[in-house]
Amino acid sequence: MGIVIAVISGKGGVGKTTATANLGLGIATNDEKVILVDFDIGQRNLDMILGLENRVVYDMVQVMDAEVGVNQAIIKSKVNDNLHFLAASQTKDKTVLSSQKVKHLLDALKEEYDYIILDAPAGIESGYEHTIEFADAAIIVVNPEVSSIRDADRAIGILDSKSQKVKEGGDVHKYLVINRIVPEMVQNGEMLNSQDILEILNIKLLGKIPEDKGVIDASNQGKPIILDEKSIAGQAYKRISGRICGKKIDFVDIEAVNKGLLKKFAGIFK
Amino acid sequence: MKGKQYSVKVYETTMDDENKFLSFFDANHLLFKDRLIVIHGSISEKVKKFLEEKSLKYILNLELPSSRSTQEVEKERENRAKLEEEEQRLAQERQLLMEEKISRLSDRLQNNLTVLDEMVRSGRELNIDGDLLLLNRVNSGATINIKGNLIITQVVEGDIRCYGNFMMLINSPKANIIFHDVRVDNDLLDEKLNRIELKDDEIVITPVLKKEITWVS
Repeated sequence: MGIVIAVISGKGGVGKTTATANLGLGIATNDEKVILVDFDIGQRNLDMILGLENRVVYDMVQVMDAEVGVNQAIIKSKVNDNLHFLAASQTKDKTVLSSQKVKHLLDALKEEYDYIILDAPAGIESGYEHTIEFADAAIIVVNPEVSSIRDADRAIGILDSKSQKVKEGGDVHKYLVINRIVPEMVQNGEMLNSQDILEILNIKLLGKIPEDKGVIDASNQGKPIILDEKSIAGQAYKRISGRICGKKIDFVDIEAVNKGLLKKFAGIFK
Repeated sequence: MKGKQYSVKVYETTMDDENKFLSFFDANHLLFKDRLIVIHGSISEKVKKFLEEKSLKYILNLELPSSRSTQEVEKERENRAKLEEEEQRLAQERQLLMEEKISRLSDRLQNNLTVLDEMVRSGRELNIDGDLLLLNRVNSGATINIKGNLIITQVVEGDIRCYGNFMMLINSPKANIIFHDVRVDNDLLDEKLNRIELKDDEIVITPVLKKEITWVS
């Protein structure tokens, strides 16, 4: 029986879809069966970032409406056999979703996969609500900036009030991923530091990802950055994936490590 | 060592008149068969012989724990009654004092105190008619509307509207604080707890030291 993880952010453009693709691949390399489901109906992106856009034949809405079988619509990743993907519909809109349809789909996927990762749409509308409704856990992706934090806070609030698990008296596990950290800016006080963010959001930290120029190119190429061994963002995704799979991986303090390096350089020039 | 404990009935008497003593015990010796007779004074050989003859157990000049006279008992009862009365009076006074304190407190804390220990996240709106004691953060984008008094012990980054007698907040540079439709300047709030209250139509902000956080004096 698999677990359902919703990747949410509230605000758009913080790297939710990129995180979904990379974490999916990362978990798959840990020998777990993963399926990524794009819940951003009407604005599907995940297929491109995974490099699978030309493989999409059927989408998730067609599966939910029982036009096609779930196995017909699922696409296997080119790079990892454990990774599977279910595309969003590009032509329909969020209103086609209903709680019953979503539950039915997720129940079917839970039988087959260890991890069902849902890429939530930006915003807090019905599409978002359907993504989190049956989630067991949520990964909240934020950027170290106030607007992202506020939107994430709002998204967490909705998660805490609308999720099925909470309604049944349970608790949805919430984990924070801080994306696009620029260490120099944090040190100069121009960017929120992770301590402040954790204090505001009050959830567990899953990992921090430094800003990495390679991410955009990787997305354009359809090859998630986690495949690039040298990339600092890729390494961060690897660590986070390991943590999701229950491995004990120490936190690398991106903000502090670079501070040390800077000091070293400063020492050289003295 | 072995020991046994007995409860013995004791008859206490004084040796004044030997003849009276003898005639009394001669007539009633059966009654004293299982009692211990304590005799104060000295006894002659004759009496001693008589007691042994009647096989009466006796002991001489034993100081028994003095029994209380009825007068003493009466006095004690009176004292106790007085004490009880005093205690009752004190309890009543205490009760009155407590009620007064409570009424004084409830003057300040108007009514229906709500105590919350949860984060007020962005997008949440709390509308409360009574008082609120909030032990957690108010995040940016959250709104709190209070008709009564408001105490928040953590940082506020959201919007706060309070119409009570007073408000207590810690330094919150990002908060939007409205007290009786007047915006409170964040810079006026000290690091520690501040009391914001309305005195003669004027908003007064006083920093509160930790030891002064007592509403009941």
